[in-house]
Amino acid sequence: MVEVASKRVLVPVSESPSLRNTVAYVVQRAVEGFQDGGRPTEVHFVYPVSQRVTFGEESAESIAAGELLDIVSVWAEEDVGENADAVEVKTSLIRSRDYLFSHRDYANALEVYARSNDIGLVVFDPEYYPAGTTPLLPTLEAEVRRAGVEVEEAPVQRERRGPVLVRRGNVGQFLALFGLSFLFYVLLSGSVEPTGVVTGAITGAVVAVSLWRVSLTAPIHPVRTARRLWRMLFYVPYLLWEIFKANLEIAYIVLHPDLPIDPQVVDFDAAVWSPLAATALANSITLTPGTLTVDITPQHFTIHTLTRKARTGLMAGGLERGVRFVFYGLAASRTASPAERLEQRGEDS
Amino acid sequence: MALREIAVLLFATGGSFFALSAAVGLVRLPDLYTRAHSASKGDTLGGLLTLTAVAIAFGGGLSTFKTFLLIVFMFLTNPTAVHAIVRAAHDQGIEPWTAEEEP
Repeated sequence: MVEVASKRVLVPVSESPSLRNTVAYVVQRAVEGFQDGGRPTEVHFVYPVSQRVTFGEESAESIAAGELLDIVSVWAEEDVGENADAVEVKTSLIRSRDYLFSHRDYANALEVYARSNDIGLVVFDPEYYPAGTTPLLPTLEAEVRRAGVEVEEAPVQRERRGPVLVRRGNVGQFLALFGLSFLFYVLLSGSVEPTGVVTGAITGAVVAVSLWRVSLTAPIHPVRTARRLWRMLFYVPYLLWEIFKANLEIAYIVLHPDLPIDPQVVDFDAAVWSPLAATALANSITLTPGTLTVDITPQHFTIHTLTRKARTGLMAGGLERGVRFVFYGLAASRTASPAERLEQRGEDS
Repeated sequence: MALREIAVLLFATGGSFFALSAAVGLVRLPDLYTRAHSASKGDTLGGLLTLTAVAIAFGGGLSTFKTFLLIVFMFLTNPTAVHAIVRAAHDQGIEPWTAEEEP
């Protein structure tokens, strides 16, 4: 671990959910180092301004940055408390004559500041992304390290984004996933030699162990799944036929000299409930030319339609009926079409 | 010419036709949404027919089965990818082109 206490530390800041914790971490490290007999630490909180700053003029960004730095120094003082000897807090706006755009630009700005103030260590907020996140480019940390300055990421809590990936699972799910992977492996290898079977079993086990609580979101009901697959056999030819018909139409429209299109976005509430059924319906709609699923909130579908005919077809609800047949059986497929439901609602209100 | 060769020819020609019409649509249609229609669907059916031709040409066995799997995965991933693109455009607030803009 790098000895923070004897050095000057640079902390680049921006608005981020983990900034408060980062400040607390840096100050705490400095205080601990001082109490262990080290020298006081100079902590520089800096904000590299991305826009070019003309002398004497303030941009909206530099004003906001100044306010943020004020807040940070208040936080830091709060954390320093009675150990005022241990930490010296400095804040600074890094203004540059260039626009900061890429990670390398930011790294350069930070490096120049670090060199001119004799700073040997940069501590990053884990949520510090001034130039966005671009997975293909080297990270800002890597760029700074390449410039010859030591780098550390503050080990503070990141905010969790999005829903939970890993859920609870049961043994049935595990076995189902293992069986599927194993079967798939053996089918692809096309032989039942001992080597293939053993490597298949190992591969299946690896897949099942690592993903059994991720890829299957609900317990398996073998009978229901088998029934659905069986009914799927009837739905797929129907879907293929629809795709074929509609594709002919699109080809006709596209090759027609006048390009007779009339695109429009339509909304409707689909009568499907589970996420799987909604996904199946959305994908079927997208596959059928002339209609394109733009957005789904649980049951509300937003569809982009290319022609009036595609709209009528969508509202007639053939696909919806098909998906309901696959997931809920024949009885459930006899239901009012979206168009009829809209009419009914119109009469009710 | 054997029956199988005729079938392969028919499917391959059909697939090429739909792939071509998808390309033409990509050039002629006015905006992102309508182009997504053309690019995705034409390709799906074009791919389906072409891969069917491939499966028939293999004449049964493991390779045919694998080609069939390819078709299945294409049918799962194609609409999902297009949906992702279009939804991203929708989230960015890109307005779809409509015919009413013309007088």
